[in-house]
Amino acid sequence: MSAKTTYPEGELVTLLRQKDEGAFSYLYEHYSGALYGVVRQVVADEELAQDVLQEVFVSIWRKIDSYDALKGRLFTWMLNVARNAAIDKVRSKGYQQSLRQTSLDVSESSHPAVRPGIDDYGLKKTLSRLKDEQRQLIDLSYYQGYTHDQIAKALNIPLGTVKTRLRTALSQLRTMLS
Amino acid sequence: MNVKEYISSGIIESYVLGLASDEERREFESYSAQYPEIAEARDRFEQQLEEQLLADAPAPPVALKARVKAALQAERIVPVDGDGFAHEAPVRRMNPWKWAAAASVLVAAGSLFWAAQLRQQNQDLQASVRNGQETQQQLTEARARLADLQDQANTLRNPAVKMASLNGTPKAPKSQVMVFWDSTSRDVYMMVKNLPRPASTEQYQLWALLNGKPVDLGVFDFRQEQLLIKMKGVQAAQAFAITLEPHGGSVNPTLEKMYVYGDL
Repeated sequence: MSAKTTYPEGELVTLLRQKDEGAFSYLYEHYSGALYGVVRQVVADEELAQDVLQEVFVSIWRKIDSYDALKGRLFTWMLNVARNAAIDKVRSKGYQQSLRQTSLDVSESSHPAVRPGIDDYGLKKTLSRLKDEQRQLIDLSYYQGYTHDQIAKALNIPLGTVKTRLRTALSQLRTMLS
Repeated sequence: MNVKEYISSGIIESYVLGLASDEERREFESYSAQYPEIAEARDRFEQQLEEQLLADAPAPPVALKARVKAALQAERIVPVDGDGFAHEAPVRRMNPWKWAAAASVLVAAGSLFWAAQLRQQNQDLQASVRNGQETQQQLTEARARLADLQDQANTLRNPAVKMASLNGTPKAPKSQVMVFWDSTSRDVYMMVKNLPRPASTEQYQLWALLNGKPVDLGVFDFRQEQLLIKMKGVQAAQAFAITLEPHGGSVNPTLEKMYVYGDL
């Protein structure tokens, strides 16, 4: 294990493309926690979240050639792979049946309870400083993967308003992170 | 275009977090190629996001790494992407006229037989591919389980790992938990032998004790498939204890609800 070595990002990507195991091991050590974090915030169930994280690393390994450094950092790309995989899992038939929940459940998400061990770190922790209304929009779009259109219909507010409010919330997020 | 306004419009965050529409994405990519300020602002936000998420991340269960590793190893042996079948061999053309008349009768008869054979071969091939995939799946799972156990065995065998046996308090005398503390990495693992089932509103919480002061090592779920559960690490400890706390854990241990205790 070479957990203590650090790679410049470009070199890491090159090694990953060569399917270098050491680089992959480093990738796991370094990023699995952060990726697991976002996966768990989407898929609350611990075991399911572990399955998703495994799928995420397999996808990264398979699709590393499609990563384009011009479009952003490696971590950003991986974070999107992880979020999409988690949302796909939650949207999957089996999962929906297990929850008996098929439509956008606004009542629950309008008062999002903080789940200990899940919501008290990472992006969600930062989000907790936003106004309830803003947090709800980010929760529905980022963590639950609903389109602006679906959110507008469910909350019964105009599409334009959803877009503006979401944009405002997101730009505040950047200020909070810096 | 007003670049400053564009940068502060929330588009950067939408793009980076994957919330932008296809149209917004294309537009953003072309603008960031044209205006270096936009690309820089994007990069700054990405770095901030990365720093925060890396600094403040939960640790996935320690055994998951072995599972992922086994899945990747399987991936390398059996490429799942692509069509997975050999490409069709090119058909060789013969001079048609000379042979056509004589051959046509033979071809007609032969092709019926050939078609039947091909169909059979195709079915056989499909069946064996299915079998192969199942076997591969079983192999991957078995490998992952073995790698898990090996990892855990290595932890237990490591001479730097010290063990504390936590025995039940009068409250639950049959309870027993082993805690393993790695004196080099400062990692803490735990093996639950016996603990009473808690109410769903409560969770067990592990504490390290140093000079009479408790240090929180995290809560854990009652049902764990893993033999060794990785808890939060601790720099030093003289003893360990487990208390029952409200779901999510407490800042200070509830001493009346201490279930096991043991010196290191």
